[in-house]
Amino acid sequence: MASPPPPPPGTAPYGDPNQYAYQQGYAQPDPYGQQQQVPPAAGGYGQAPPYGQQAYGQPAPTPQASGPPLAAGPAPGAHGGRGKRRGYAEEQYEFGAGANAGLTPAQNPAYASQSMGGYPNPQEQQQSQFVSPMGGTPPVMGTQGGYGVPQGMSGAGAGNIAAGGYEPAGAPGMGGVTQSFGQMGLTPAGGIQKVQSLNPLFTTDLMQQPLNVAELEFPPPEILLPPNASLTPSPNSNCPPQYMRSTINAVPTTHSLLKKSKLPFALIIQPYTSLHDAEDPVPLVSDTVISRCRRCRSYINPYVTFLDHGHRWRCNMCNLTNDVPQAFDWDQAAQKNLDRWQRPELNSSVVEFIAPQEYMVRPPQPLVYLFLLDVSYSAVQCGLLATAARTILESLDRIPNADKRTRLGFICVDSSLHYFAIPRDSSEPSMLVVSDLDEPFLPIPGDLLVPLAECREGIENLLGKLQDMFQNSQNGSSCMGSALQAGHKLISAIGGKIIVLTATLPCLGAGKLDNREDKKLLGTSKESALLQTANSFYKSFAVECSKNQVSVDMFLFSNSYQDVASLSNLPRYTGGQTYFYPGWNATRSEDAIKFAREFSDHLSAEIALEAVMRVRATTGLRMQTFYGNFFNRSSDLCAFPAFPRDQGYVVEVAIDEALGKQFVCMQTAVLHTTCNGERRIRVMTLALPTTQNLSDVYASADQVAITTFFSHKAVEKTLSSGLEQAREALQAKLTELLITFKKELTASHVGAATPLSFAANLRGLVVLFLGLMKHVGLRKSAQIPTDLRSAALCLLSTLPAPMLIQYIHPKFYSLHDMPDSCGLPDPTTGEIILPPAMNLSSERLAPFGCYLIDDTQVQFLWIGPQAVPQLVQDVFGLPGVEHVKVGKTTLPHLEGPGSEFNERVRAVVEKSRDHKSKKVGSITVPHLYVVRGDGEPSLRLWAQTMLIEDRTDQGVSLGQFLAQLKEKVNNS
Amino acid sequence: MLSYCPSLQLMRLLLSVCCSEVDVLVRFRYSDLECDYINPIDLCNRLNTYIVPEAAVHAFLTALFLINGYWLALLLNLPLVVFNVKKILDNAHLLDATEIFRTLNKHKKESFIKLGFHLVMFFFYLYSMIVALIRDETN
Repeated sequence: MASPPPPPPGTAPYGDPNQYAYQQGYAQPDPYGQQQQVPPAAGGYGQAPPYGQQAYGQPAPTPQASGPPLAAGPAPGAHGGRGKRRGYAEEQYEFGAGANAGLTPAQNPAYASQSMGGYPNPQEQQQSQFVSPMGGTPPVMGTQGGYGVPQGMSGAGAGNIAAGGYEPAGAPGMGGVTQSFGQMGLTPAGGIQKVQSLNPLFTTDLMQQPLNVAELEFPPPEILLPPNASLTPSPNSNCPPQYMRSTINAVPTTHSLLKKSKLPFALIIQPYTSLHDAEDPVPLVSDTVISRCRRCRSYINPYVTFLDHGHRWRCNMCNLTNDVPQAFDWDQAAQKNLDRWQRPELNSSVVEFIAPQEYMVRPPQPLVYLFLLDVSYSAVQCGLLATAARTILESLDRIPNADKRTRLGFICVDSSLHYFAIPRDSSEPSMLVVSDLDEPFLPIPGDLLVPLAECREGIENLLGKLQDMFQNSQNGSSCMGSALQAGHKLISAIGGKIIVLTATLPCLGAGKLDNREDKKLLGTSKESALLQTANSFYKSFAVECSKNQVSVDMFLFSNSYQDVASLSNLPRYTGGQTYFYPGWNATRSEDAIKFAREFSDHLSAEIALEAVMRVRATTGLRMQTFYGNFFNRSSDLCAFPAFPRDQGYVVEVAIDEALGKQFVCMQTAVLHTTCNGERRIRVMTLALPTTQNLSDVYASADQVAITTFFSHKAVEKTLSSGLEQAREALQAKLTELLITFKKELTASHVGAATPLSFAANLRGLVVLFLGLMKHVGLRKSAQIPTDLRSAALCLLSTLPAPMLIQYIHPKFYSLHDMPDSCGLPDPTTGEIILPPAMNLSSERLAPFGCYLIDDTQVQFLWIGPQAVPQLVQDVFGLPGVEHVKVGKTTLPHLEGPGSEFNERVRAVVEKSRDHKSKKVGSITVPHLYVVRGDGEPSLRLWAQTMLIEDRTDQGVSLGQFLAQLKEKVNNS
Repeated sequence: MLSYCPSLQLMRLLLSVCCSEVDVLVRFRYSDLECDYINPIDLCNRLNTYIVPEAAVHAFLTALFLINGYWLALLLNLPLVVFNVKKILDNAHLLDATEIFRTLNKHKKESFIKLGFHLVMFFFYLYSMIVALIRDETN
């Protein structure tokens, strides 16, 4: 207890901001200087005094760092605090002070020093960068007139064309401080060659330096644009990664270089980062002055250049000169001149325009929700109908209805269709039953789709009575296909959203499906046929819906086979989403609460309607393939009848012509109608530097974006060719990347100890690809029901990048020995501090520990079989581990003294679910399963499939995987 | 002999022209789609009406070869018949509007090869018709 334990792997020091040195260090004069400011993250928890020096290779030559490393010493008083976590382990094991004591202590220092040594000495690199131009980029002699102009600084000084805007004082000693180039408005001129520095490439050996999972959270490699690329020095002038990120943050100038690199070039787009506008405001241009390029139709953005005293602007995409509209500098409301440099579209890369009349084909439609409720026997029995009706009833106030135009409709479905007419003048709804399924017709022309504001009473009345009406239903069949046709007929004139809630396989009428799941086929090559659509109705109807601006959401609840593969096609092509609740039953309160919360959030989301998305780019780039839930209406236009806020999209970009510019721009525009009847355009502009060097491309590659791209690609491959092919394609791609890296970017090694080198910023790729191959959607297994697989594939191709990465590579926290600050709000930000994430390996599971594994869809609270009673008491309020009930649960709220550990654990579980901190909008509320190390085997095995670094019966461990890769790379 | 009857030869020629015509049309439509002159839904609706007739005409033509015992032509045409039949049996013969942009390159290649095949066959039939006519004259 008195002597600090050896540094355990995966603890706080890995997450140390200094780790960013290879990404960010260049903007800072002295990356080492920061070391002093870093507080001891875990308070006496695993920081051996020599650690600081081990971690950074050689002692830094800077005077600041030569002093005693502050971060290394244990914080005084930390032992005196809540030392409970140490106590848990000590009662059982004599050695160590708790933290991951399951590992042999001798292993730890070696591990730490190896892994930390992986980062090359930043100082060295920094110097070399000063001396030689990294990218061999051609010098710029103030050719682009706009560059030299300090427009942004001088306010409206657009006309100030200082061709040789050269400030000698700024030149010497500028070095690689690229950031300040931009600030000073310096144009290198004369004989001074411009040093355009891109991210330097660092090489690591994958065999020697295990991945530190905190790296997956790192921001993407910095986008280092040439100085004065943007009009204004606004920090928002380039697109933040949560909206749009590229797989490579330095674009190769030619197609052949891209091909040589083997890296994909794709954009990961997530236009909305929250369910509600209030949580994520975007600058709004409200005067409907929208200046666009005449030729390429790009929107004006911070990367255009102004000419002719600001009367014209040159498009940064196609170089065409356009006139600046008269009203651009005029404030219509206040009737006075406007400072152009304050306009949001010139300062911010993510803006929203209010669109004028020309952008509408019809008046903005109202928000329409049509609910198709399954009232067959199984849906009523499992409590779906009652829970859904109650949730809708309680969410009526949350449904966006600012303009009082929102309309609702209800159709109940068993073997016939039950329409509900809700007249405006009476609160008594009437039911109309249609059992003709071949020609589903609307029994009466009006009152089936009613405004929420006017018929509130009738709707409430109906929802209150639904359960009683169908309580004794014995009808076991469902004609959901015909119901969808009827619903489409009902709302196709307006467009809107059909929400399907069903617990039965549609077996009657149009689009009927059979139970085609055959356990014998699982795990064989024939399995992929089960993942494809069984009935072409679900594709042709989806196209029909998309044409009429109807979007479909599926909430599927079946206890038996429901053919998610076929049903999910409707959401896939209409901008909806499939939500799957296997084995759902409302009698389990966890199930009911999960669905109610998610469904209510879903209804409250401020979705956009009648949306189209287009991505434009600098001449030479072409948007090639689009991935996500929408319909491709033309070669580069994605149509969304309803634009959800919880999805991400991927666009693959092709380089058609050599790129002559120093940087390229890509602009995503989403034209949509907001749910309160406003036509708007959300425009996001991303600028990326170009390069002719392969090493720059690799140094600026973004592993998170690359994995997202290949996740979409793997899903597509699975649906078209099969699971085996998808997995093989992933592995082949990884091998190809490693071989390319070895051949092109590393010095040749001779002898047995050939390292498996790869770019440091792509280190996580191996684990992420392994995680993808072992994911429930793609894993080789004969045990996974087709429905589960299909639902997982839907998520793999829709989740926004931050959630997707966690879905592929779950978060793994150790709770019994978490540092004392974890689970409590951060004193500065007020956010709950999470324990450091650990590598997903079962060797981290100590038999006496308590762990949390979270993949965003489920959470596992793992309690070891030898957990001491005190720990069990603190977490669950139970006397011993044998009393802990396994399965779906909610953690009890403990009261009184000694309950603070319970509170912290609950805070960690809750924080781990938080979508806001991940900068995504999502409705998902994961189930919490308690798993006992000696408990029910099926649950335990399920939890263990999340530990992707382990060997499984059909999958390799990370070590084996690396060995396989190494063999292939060395044999190439 | 029946197989050298010029009128039958002429019919073959015309049928072959039909098939090539369809392929030329398909090819134009694909380029239209790429240039955004047509939307994928219309494209698929229009082209799907031609796919089965084209295959049927071709199968009929091949059947004629079989009946007439024109073995060389039969041998040349059989692979395409098998290919078409397999596609129809797999229910993969119709174009899918939702996937068209991803499969466009495949479709384009396919229609290009088919067009080439039909053209070659056209000249082959023309040649055999002329041969048959000359024989007719000499007899």
